Amino acid sequence: MQRILIIEDEPKAGEYMRSGLTEAGYVADVATDGITGLHLAREFQFDLILLDVMLPDMDGWQVMAALKNHDVPTPVLFLTARGTLEDRLKGLASGAEDYLVKPFSFAELLARIRIVLRRGGREPQPDLLELAGLRMDVPKRRVERDGVRLALTNKEFNLLHLFLTHRGQVLSRTLIASRVWDMNFDSDTNVVDVAVRRLRQKIDEPFSRRLLHTVHGVGYRCDDEA
Amino acid sequence: MSRFSLTARLSIILAVLTLTVMTAVGFIMYRTLERQLMVRDDGALVTRVEQIRALLHDEDVLDLIHNKPQLFANMLGNTESLLVLRFPGRTPLIEVNPGNSPVPDIAAVPADGKLSLAAVHHRLQGDTPFIYTAAQARTTRPPYRLEIITGRLMMERTRMLASYRNQIFAVVAGASLLTMLLAGLVARRGLLPLHRLAAQTGRIGSKNLSIRIDSEDAPRELKALIDAFNLMLDRLELSFTQLSQVSADMAHDLRTPIATLMGQTEVALSRPRPEEHYARLLGSNFEELGRLSKMIENMLFLARAEQAGHAIGRVWLDIGDEFATLNDYFEGPAQERDLGLAFSGAGRIYADPQLLRRALANLLANAIQYADAGSTVTISAEHQAGHTTLSVSNLGADIGEEHLARLFERFYRADASRTTANQASGLGLAIVRGIMTLHQGGWRATSAAGQTCFQLTFPHGERRHDDDGRENGAEAPAPIERP
Repeated sequence: MQRILIIEDEPKAGEYMRSGLTEAGYVADVATDGITGLHLAREFQFDLILLDVMLPDMDGWQVMAALKNHDVPTPVLFLTARGTLEDRLKGLASGAEDYLVKPFSFAELLARIRIVLRRGGREPQPDLLELAGLRMDVPKRRVERDGVRLALTNKEFNLLHLFLTHRGQVLSRTLIASRVWDMNFDSDTNVVDVAVRRLRQKIDEPFSRRLLHTVHGVGYRCDDEA
Repeated sequence: MSRFSLTARLSIILAVLTLTVMTAVGFIMYRTLERQLMVRDDGALVTRVEQIRALLHDEDVLDLIHNKPQLFANMLGNTESLLVLRFPGRTPLIEVNPGNSPVPDIAAVPADGKLSLAAVHHRLQGDTPFIYTAAQARTTRPPYRLEIITGRLMMERTRMLASYRNQIFAVVAGASLLTMLLAGLVARRGLLPLHRLAAQTGRIGSKNLSIRIDSEDAPRELKALIDAFNLMLDRLELSFTQLSQVSADMAHDLRTPIATLMGQTEVALSRPRPEEHYARLLGSNFEELGRLSKMIENMLFLARAEQAGHAIGRVWLDIGDEFATLNDYFEGPAQERDLGLAFSGAGRIYADPQLLRRALANLLANAIQYADAGSTVTISAEHQAGHTTLSVSNLGADIGEEHLARLFERFYRADASRTTANQASGLGLAIVRGIMTLHQGGWRATSAAGQTCFQLTFPHGERRHDDDGRENGAEAPAPIERP
């Protein structure tokens, strides 16, 4: 059970993150101001701190500096509404592990949290990914389902790899576009939908059980639940 | 000096100039007068000696002195003069010296020598000049030579010159003061147009940016300033109008999704609903929120893009690699509409990778959306001196001339215009323009005979710009003029 401390002054925001993280299997605590957050971070053992920059009294930068002063080793992920390049650089320069600009997709937040926590724990990426009879051999770049070899293009392979490594998580189109195509902006094309549709034709349609699910309005999820 | 007003400065400068010039003139005139007086006085002294010489010529000096002592005193005629007659080395036969000047000891001009002004000596007695000379005259008594020593203390001349000097001082001081006053008046009058300009400028505010300064009656020196100022007002007014327009458009565009969000949520909450209804509602709300978020993101991007000197990370990129990335990304949507993507051109381009991809993706998304089914969208790169031009063109319905010029404006929508990149925000092409502004490049759209083409020009380095971000590079394709 990994513990995450959320330092966020906006109660609704803190609450939805807490419940989302709890559902994702973490233990989450919320502090609504920097001083309380700093106190909790020093008193208890957390695996990660989500730190909002705009806080009353003591802002995120100051909390970060205080954490460093007190030698708190917990990795920090900044959350902020200010997305200028200068802010990003300032966040990373202050010793934060990562930096997310509001509004962000929750899937993106989960993905970043996993990456940060993995960095500490060195959890290697598995070479073989399996889900309901679908097997992906990453080094050989081979995919088969129920023993049938599936011919995927490079992009389709990368897309499926992304889904299999984020099993059960809803992935937004933006997140998929940035991970698979390195397009970090919204061009508002249906690129992702087209790609998912083509992947579906190959890995789902010939088989009885569907693995790729559309989550209306949000994005896509890959799991073997109906 | 910068503490003083322009009027005071001009007055002081003119007064100092007057003072200097008049002092110099006064000094020269004084010196000239002094020299002329000296020559006159020296001449008079020489004449007197000559007269005495003539008088004594072959006369029995002692008789003369004895009989006519008055003669000599009369010859001098004032207290400033000195006259000594003596045989060389003897005590004087006569000494007229009412001023008690010390008798000078100088070699006398010989009796047969010509007396000239050069024989006149000058010395100061106290502060007063004293001129003197000595000459010999022939006499009938041995040793047949008589020395005439004469001199004159120049008291009257000194007085006269002193008074003249004081007059000069008075005139110079008076003239300088007068000049200062007059210069002040003249400068104030001369600077009236500036004061008027300041008053007119002071009346301009955000409420009446349409006021222009009248340069009709302005002096020529101010015309250039006024014209430049008026041009600045033109630009400000345009920006201000655009800004107000953008704020209004933005408010309007934000209002639409927010109205949808509020409306459908309110309706859903008005009575109990099945669970899937809520799920659908949340999904729909999430989509609307995503749209809002994207719009705000784009507005922020545009606001930043318009800040002059906003830093971007330009590097030399391989055009082939960039085209491959785009091809990867758009292959699917193109096939969906039965379109071909044809990339041509190679080499390198100097751009910010993310921004370049974003600009091209916006153009390509439009092209794919509007191209005739079954046709080919072409993306090409061409290098010219100093810059590289990327073109995205497709076959399809023409965009009207009236839309072409305004296509790159924020929120500009027309039925035939293509602003679906960043759908429903009308910001796709404005973002392209913002990206090109950041790159100090050019942008252009043409549409005729069923072919629509968007061109972006990337310079091969930094270049100088005018302040509204349009090209100055003559070699680049002319960008769309802004309205």
